[in-house]
Amino acid sequence: MGNVDRRRIYIKRATHISIQSPMSESWMREPRLTRESYVRSEDPQFREWLNPMESRRLSNILKRALVTAIKVKRDSGIEQPEAVITGTGLGCIENTELFLNQLCREGEELLKPTYFMQSTHNTVSSLIGINGKIHGYNSTYSHKGVSFDSALMDAIVQMRLGDINNALVTGNDEITPTYFSILKRSGYVGQEGQVPAGEASVAMMLTTDAEDTLCEIEDFKMVYRKENIGEDTLNTAGPVDAILMGLSGERSNDEAYRDIEGKLPKAPILRYKHLFGESYTASGLGVYAAAQMLKEGTVPAVMRVDGGEPIEGVRRIFVVNHSDGREYTFLTMRRAE
Amino acid sequence: MEELVLNLKKQIIEALNLADMTPEDIEDDAPLFGEGLGLDSIDALELIVMMEREYGIRIKDPSAGKEIFKSVNTMAEFVKANRTK
Repeated sequence: MGNVDRRRIYIKRATHISIQSPMSESWMREPRLTRESYVRSEDPQFREWLNPMESRRLSNILKRALVTAIKVKRDSGIEQPEAVITGTGLGCIENTELFLNQLCREGEELLKPTYFMQSTHNTVSSLIGINGKIHGYNSTYSHKGVSFDSALMDAIVQMRLGDINNALVTGNDEITPTYFSILKRSGYVGQEGQVPAGEASVAMMLTTDAEDTLCEIEDFKMVYRKENIGEDTLNTAGPVDAILMGLSGERSNDEAYRDIEGKLPKAPILRYKHLFGESYTASGLGVYAAAQMLKEGTVPAVMRVDGGEPIEGVRRIFVVNHSDGREYTFLTMRRAE
Repeated sequence: MEELVLNLKKQIIEALNLADMTPEDIEDDAPLFGEGLGLDSIDALELIVMMEREYGIRIKDPSAGKEIFKSVNTMAEFVKANRTK
């Protein structure tokens, strides 16, 4: 992104459905903490948002994706964004399991068409497009732990190039009991001392219009190998008040952050996965949380790794993510003036 | 015939995930597609699969579906005449 013109990019609105109270910022004042190793999302009343006749075929991930997208579109006043870009690690895994289980149980004939049609990764983004009659750019990224980051990068590049002025960026993942048991065996989640596995649906409206926004995305960089992280990668335009990391309690995940800690600006370390859980698109909830903290100008004490006091007057947060100790992303987010 | 109509209504509700409906909500002669129940082309696919699974009826001519799936009564008539199980 080095030669791309620096058009300023803002997050206008953002919301979530997760293991915290849905589509609410109550986690900042009354965070839910759990000792469970696997927590399903708390869903809102879908009936208040979706026509039951239209939503009857939709799995939970699709309902969550639609509702978060509808809320963000409504709140931002941008009903038809120029792009819909989604990150998802597993896509519609619940429908995939239903389809495959039926295939194993009953053979290859008489399979339910709905499960098959709605089992692909790009079902999510295309459904948001169809539902909102949004006929512009529509794309899906499925890159494990940087799925959401890749979607975000696509939007930022297109906005910096001047191709689009706004974009709806979403991240969606569901975790079924079967998939949780697989992830648990791999050690990714479900071990002593780790954050819970949690489903994630997040939507945010990016825009080049500075009026009435949550925060500005000042800089975004993605670096494949940590050896290539240099001073120019981490150079920010001013002091950083806090650094938000995806610490999860999983040894290799947390080591990947510690490995680069010496290269990062000096600031209190924050975490978010103990509140929102671990999933392939958890980083989207990190970006959402940072945006809301900048809007409020406050970092709640529960976010601090060192157990310190709340941080007031927050102006700049540095968000770091990685996937398997590679593909580091660095996002500088600044309070909107 | 009455029992077949009732079973068909239950099967339609289950196959199409019409969770808020009961068999009493579906009129025997009301159109299933467009007006009436308001089903769509994906529902038609689900109904074709349901007919084969439950009654052993394979609908080979897609254009015949329009008449067969006109209402619950037309479905029941077709099932009665063609069922293999």
